[in-house]
Amino acid sequence: MAPAAHSFGDLPPVDAPARLAQHEPVPPSGALSSEREPALRFSGVTHFYGEHRALDDLHLEVRRGQTLALLGPNGAGKSTTISVLLGLVRPRFGHVEVLGRAPRDAVESGRVGAMLQTGSGTGLPPGVRVVDVVRLVRRLYSHPAPLDVVVERAAITTLLYRRTDHLSGGQAQRVRFALAIAGDPEVVFLDEPTAAMDVEARRSFWKMIRALGDEGRTTVFATHHLAEADQVADRVVVLHHGQVVADGPGATLKAAVASRQVRFVSGRPDVDVLNSLEGVTDVEVRGTTVTLSCLDADASIRALVRSEVEFRDLEVTGAGLEEAFLALTSAARRPEKSRPEKSRPEKKGQP
Amino acid sequence: MSALVAFGRFEVGRLLRSWKFLVITVGFPVLFYMLFLRDHSSGKIVYAGVTWREYLMVSMCSFGALIAALNAGGSRVALERAGGWARQLRVTPLPAWSYVAVKMTASMLVVLPVVLLVELVAATFGGVSLSPETWVGLSALLWGTALPFSALGVLLGFAVSTEAVFPVVTGLLFVLAYFGGLFTPVTSMPGALQVAAHLLPNFHHLSLGLEVLSGRTLAASHWLVLGGYTLALGGLIVWRHRVEEARGVA
Repeated sequence: MAPAAHSFGDLPPVDAPARLAQHEPVPPSGALSSEREPALRFSGVTHFYGEHRALDDLHLEVRRGQTLALLGPNGAGKSTTISVLLGLVRPRFGHVEVLGRAPRDAVESGRVGAMLQTGSGTGLPPGVRVVDVVRLVRRLYSHPAPLDVVVERAAITTLLYRRTDHLSGGQAQRVRFALAIAGDPEVVFLDEPTAAMDVEARRSFWKMIRALGDEGRTTVFATHHLAEADQVADRVVVLHHGQVVADGPGATLKAAVASRQVRFVSGRPDVDVLNSLEGVTDVEVRGTTVTLSCLDADASIRALVRSEVEFRDLEVTGAGLEEAFLALTSAARRPEKSRPEKSRPEKKGQP
Repeated sequence: MSALVAFGRFEVGRLLRSWKFLVITVGFPVLFYMLFLRDHSSGKIVYAGVTWREYLMVSMCSFGALIAALNAGGSRVALERAGGWARQLRVTPLPAWSYVAVKMTASMLVVLPVVLLVELVAATFGGVSLSPETWVGLSALLWGTALPFSALGVLLGFAVSTEAVFPVVTGLLFVLAYFGGLFTPVTSMPGALQVAAHLLPNFHHLSLGLEVLSGRTLAASHWLVLGGYTLALGGLIVWRHRVEEARGVA
């Protein structure tokens, strides 16, 4: 029933050094025979906010130690996914497991840490010093990380004796990161951890997130920056309308969505010739209008000029992330699906 | 358990360090006590052998307890929830109920010094004189039976948005205080208001204190109403919590 998600290559092997670029083809995830339980498991999860379907029959498994980016535009279901994983939201249908237990149990067992979105607030209690909050949160866990380690990892040494209501946005984000790791958790969830940060701050945050993966923690973070997903994650899952529309290593995904479209008018387009042009992945002809999808638009245009094909009114449009999402989504959408309310099996039963 | 203790200490410490909050909480009932004391002849009997200066002491204890509870619970909880701290706590191992429990405990802990301070002012400036046992019994009673106010405060923090919480808290404070007979004896109000007063928690809180002073037995109806309020408000807190969980805004 679930729409076939695009598979951009497959998962890197379990013990691969957790960085990108050296992913090798591995059997599809169904055939992955890991003895160990996955860290996170979503099966058939559907959730509504009123009429709005926030998660739509979502299936997802995350291996232990994996760093996963949830990528998608606003409203794609990223925050809902994280809220469900944390037990903050109980989904209407489907089954969710975190470290083999119900999400709330996993959180109460102290093996989970999280940094949430806070809207306009700081996410911190007003009127106390940063060090007091970090100490408190450490005490809430049975086996916390040493204070100095937390402070160093989150780069908050200079902030410790500041009051929480005197922090800048970026500083508060670092403190909240410290709270996420204070309990030395096995699984860390970060909901748009770099939202509203400048480039510099964002990059230093990337290092902090990567370090979590290097320490063997399972990490899930939401973002709408493709570069961030690509640079930090082993695996990128693209969500749209509460469904997984793409799933794979970041580099492959990036290549796929970095494509551009070259459009021109041609009297007699030869599809075979066009298809053979360098960097062209798809050719669409409507009357005299030709649209080429290109991985490398520059190379394709050079090849087009050298070819015998006559053309005029040439234009190149970039595929931004939004276009990429749209492309991925429209490809993943079932043709009969017009209104989401129609012909859906709703009876999934609660765990 | 140690997590709960750590969180409780953190919250109480934070509340006690918040001096603006404490000054307002303690300041209003003390100020009103001094103001209203002059208005009437303070030795006049207003309730079964209880003088106005004694009546006012009990009613201002009740008023102070209400201010402490509604602000410690209502305003502060609403702000914390809007700021994201309450949500952050929900993703730590702290059990879900402990946030409410600790908030109610913290607000009860602020109620006690307010009661004691109003009594001290009444004894010092109001000329109220009681036996040591009566002082202890009265204080314990007024403190313990302030529990529904704590529940009301926390519920407001859960149910009312940040923008609305200050007007709602202030409005409720004066409605409950005035119609509950804290500023003027209910017996001097029109009949309909006297009936209405019996529905309000502060009337019963006040009545318990007055019954102690007049040496009467404590009427069961006061306990029933205050207990009923505590249970009903507690139930509403749980219900709000469930609704939010389903909606995903908890």
